[in-house]
Amino acid sequence: RFMQTQRLRAAVHYTVGLLCREVGEQSDVQFSRQSIAALAETTFRQGDTFAKDLEAFARHAKRTTVNAEDVKLLARRSTALHKYITRRSEELMSSNQ
Amino acid sequence: MEDKGEGAAFKKETVNKLLSLFFKDEKTRVSSDALILMAEMLKVFVQEAAERSVKQAVTEDSESVDIDHFEKILPQLLLDF
Repeated sequence: RFMQTQRLRAAVHYTVGLLCREVGEQSDVQFSRQSIAALAETTFRQGDTFAKDLEAFARHAKRTTVNAEDVKLLARRSTALHKYITRRSEELMSSNQ
Repeated sequence: MEDKGEGAAFKKETVNKLLSLFFKDEKTRVSSDALILMAEMLKVFVQEAAERSVKQAVTEDSESVDIDHFEKILPQLLLDF
């Protein structure tokens, strides 16, 4: 269980590192190792918050499976993010049909 | 926040494992669509954090993003998500 969690941390760390490099390149700025590690750990913990909220939203609708509606609720705090997630969700829906 | 799914991204499998790790009820599952959206959401979270950190570093006339730049933008970032 611990090993699995560490592997997951490493996977998150890896993607966060790539994303930081992409963002940094646009402004010619480099991310220090510690700043990437801190962002990776924050992302990991944000996963905890996201997961518990999603689970609660699904349960509130008497479901055990989290669906796109729950993710839209999760993104409600920021208008721009909500619009973005809603649009992506509609794209997914239409491609599924 | 605009992109077409190019470049680095979280794998669906990673997102699924991450969420499952934190669910309180082990019966809770995530639909395929929801996983894709959550991968997007996490990516936006990281990109937003990275961009705000870069902005902070540039404001302080630094050529690299250090941990203190990230720490300064963290509280507002968490309020926004």
